Amino acid sequence: MIKTDVIIIGGGATGCGIARDLALRGIPHCLIEKGDYAAGATGACHGLLHSGGRYVISDPVSARECFDENMILRRIGVKCVENTGGLFVRLPGDSKIFRERFLRSCNEIGIPTEVISSTRALELVPSLNPEIEEAVRVPDCSIDPFRLCMLNMKTSELKGGLSFTRHRVIDVLKSHGRCTGVKVIDMGTGEQKEIHGNIIVNATGAWADQVAKMAGSEVPLTLSKGSLVITNHRLTNMVINRLRLPSDGDIIVPNEAVCLAGTTSLAVEDPDKIRIEPVEVDTIIGEAGRMIPHFNNTRIIRAFSGVRPLLQSKKADSREISRSFQIIDHQNGMFSIVGGKLTTFRLMAEKMVDTIMDAFNLKKECETAHKPLDGQEELSGYPLSKRLADMKNIVCECELVTRQNVERIIEQTKTRHVGDISHRTRLGMGPCQGGFCTFRALGIMHDMDILTPEQSVGALRDFLQRRFRGIRYALWGDQLREEQLVEYIYLGILALGKTIEPG
Amino acid sequence: MSLVEYDVIIIGAGVAGLTAGTLLAERGKKVALVTAGEPTVCLSTGCIDLCSGADNPEEAIDALPAQHPFHLVTRQQIHQAVDDFKRKMAGAGLAYVGQTSRNRLVLSAIGTFKTTCLIPESMQASPQSEEGKIHVVTFACLKDFYPGYIISRLKNASFSTYDAGISTTMGIASLFEDENFLESFLLWVEKQNIREDKIAFPAVLGLESSAAIREKIEYRMERPVFEIPTIPPSMPGRRLFNCLKDSFHRAGGVIYWDWQATGAEKSGRLIEAVITESHGRPNSLNAQAFILATGSFVGGGLRADHSKIIENIFDLPVYTPGKREEWFEQDYFSLNHPIGRAGIVVDGSFRAVESRWDNLYVCGNILAHIEVLKNGCGHGFALATARAAAESLLEAGR
Repeated sequence: MIKTDVIIIGGGATGCGIARDLALRGIPHCLIEKGDYAAGATGACHGLLHSGGRYVISDPVSARECFDENMILRRIGVKCVENTGGLFVRLPGDSKIFRERFLRSCNEIGIPTEVISSTRALELVPSLNPEIEEAVRVPDCSIDPFRLCMLNMKTSELKGGLSFTRHRVIDVLKSHGRCTGVKVIDMGTGEQKEIHGNIIVNATGAWADQVAKMAGSEVPLTLSKGSLVITNHRLTNMVINRLRLPSDGDIIVPNEAVCLAGTTSLAVEDPDKIRIEPVEVDTIIGEAGRMIPHFNNTRIIRAFSGVRPLLQSKKADSREISRSFQIIDHQNGMFSIVGGKLTTFRLMAEKMVDTIMDAFNLKKECETAHKPLDGQEELSGYPLSKRLADMKNIVCECELVTRQNVERIIEQTKTRHVGDISHRTRLGMGPCQGGFCTFRALGIMHDMDILTPEQSVGALRDFLQRRFRGIRYALWGDQLREEQLVEYIYLGILALGKTIEPG
Repeated sequence: MSLVEYDVIIIGAGVAGLTAGTLLAERGKKVALVTAGEPTVCLSTGCIDLCSGADNPEEAIDALPAQHPFHLVTRQQIHQAVDDFKRKMAGAGLAYVGQTSRNRLVLSAIGTFKTTCLIPESMQASPQSEEGKIHVVTFACLKDFYPGYIISRLKNASFSTYDAGISTTMGIASLFEDENFLESFLLWVEKQNIREDKIAFPAVLGLESSAAIREKIEYRMERPVFEIPTIPPSMPGRRLFNCLKDSFHRAGGVIYWDWQATGAEKSGRLIEAVITESHGRPNSLNAQAFILATGSFVGGGLRADHSKIIENIFDLPVYTPGKREEWFEQDYFSLNHPIGRAGIVVDGSFRAVESRWDNLYVCGNILAHIEVLKNGCGHGFALATARAAAESLLEAGR
């Protein structure tokens, strides 16, 4: 049995941010995550650090929060934020009235804007549609959500915080009507443990209601699925937004070597049963293609969906529901923190931990906005020359990940999952989507002698099945060609089709 | 109009194109072959899959669905194609073993067994079950081979690692071509105190002199040696390509490298020339007849866009299995993905149906309804249909 003060359920940006804040304020804590960090909505978003521009009209409070947090995160997280800058582009036919409202609202809220001509915009982003009328420059950035979570957890780890990934909470323990802990199951081994604590924080996003129900409470949520596509290269160096009311497919974000475009917004019931519709892919490509015409011919390497947990309200379109967050005190030792967005995760964590400090009757100021994220000095920043110097040891040619990177992650995390290595190194995130490097990553695990015979081929099959879910609706052109080659390698050359393995 | 006029122009340098070209050149035709680049055979295991649905590939072929193009080839043509292939490869120093009446197994790089029909001699000693007692010799920092996969599945296997300082199969294969390297390598292997019946290597034992290299290791180690095919780039695939290419050249064929075919000049019911782009300028090559052997999607013969699948040299009608969302099933491992049936439908003369070209023949992996992975109709299917298409062309007196 493990004893701690605060139990955090959920390893998305919010949960990881709470762990960091608690660590900096000296509160013992333990984080439980059923998958890997950033496995839910955190890892299934654009990776956009909003300037706030997107919300100035629909939700001015959120917009201001976004802007403030944007300024904080670019300061404390230099190794996971790229200061790309952003443009809101106005296409022929887009409302001029909206433009006026947009500029006025930005001004009132305090978000700096600069109206630039289409010529200037094309100088900044040559791939833009030359027909745009004008653009508004805003301080958008791109952010790596996986790295963000890992860096937040680094502080927790340094201060002695506990964390269990691939552990699912199966029960909330109660005594005299109060939550006293959780029972968790190790998803790998099936082993169960009990963790006792004084306060439980439910930071499980789309799963918040499910978890709250275990404590006899509820969290009314509207779940909204958003789908995105990834291109095989960086079509723009700036974030591109459409200057109109938020709608489908109107944001393109450059992230490392690729671009992400989205999203859609469809109400869903069960966050574990979402699938992407082919029409969503076509919509996103069509809309993104209006801003950057080359989008129509470029290679889409993957399409995926995330689920936005939005606080329930009577507004019909989920985009109009406030994305500002809320902390719910269930009056039984459990708090749920819901809503919000990636950009404001730190603020959400701060408010949550303020609440916890009050409950414990302790006083210590939040420091997360001032201290740089721990662990950034270890990250090289990856200049290309450095990455290419060791060509012989590169196992993922798309993302230039070396064997040493992979071995280090396996040693640190003891993982048997290729996905965990991807989240920490970008292995398999390039054009071949792990087609070659997964065979190698599992081969390295074999070399390290940590895979059982059952895990060996089973892990390959499991990976390919998951990978296929992401790429299935983006298969045409060169991506289909590459997919057929990968299928030929695994099912033909390696004869993986006929083996039935557990796992 | 090109300066040289050929009897036949082949498009595609894979197993089908080179086989058809060689046969036609041997029958006295003036043959040229245009190719956009290296064919996918270089990525393959070099094994000749015929049909994997039963222990006996011939019975498996008979059991294929009625629309499968294997039914357009006679049993005699299959035998002749395979015999001819084996004879030519043996003559080129790349002997193949196996019969059309029996499938066999080859140990894969993850310890599973691949079903195939003819195999290069270098894989002859491959075990036929997980009981096989083998010792795997691997190479430090070789990126595409991990003996742990095999050791974890074969209980009687062990391995040792030689540091050749090179990370690619191609690089190590060229080291083996050096006698001094081979000698120092052999001295190292002898010290490994290997107890198992057989010694396995990733398929890196040379490129040009692979038979001699393997025989030398077998002689010194006094036991059979075999290769395990690797993921691309694959040396056995490249050896096969080199030998097919050499026999085409020996028969008098000409190859135009890096000539990407982009279209055709047409007149009435005839194709007059194929238009190619090479080194940035268009060229056309005239001929009496044409053979399209550009392969499927990987080879570049078929291309899909958002809504349809096209063959973009002659714009032949392509059988397309439904709308884009229907091309793939949910289960990755189903082997029934409808996309596997996409391709050109031909009649008994290997000419595309619903097209008006009298002098255009189609063979190999671009044909519709093959379902390569499901049916195991690989290079063997290419050999057979290439022969049948070439014979059909000759019969028509072209």
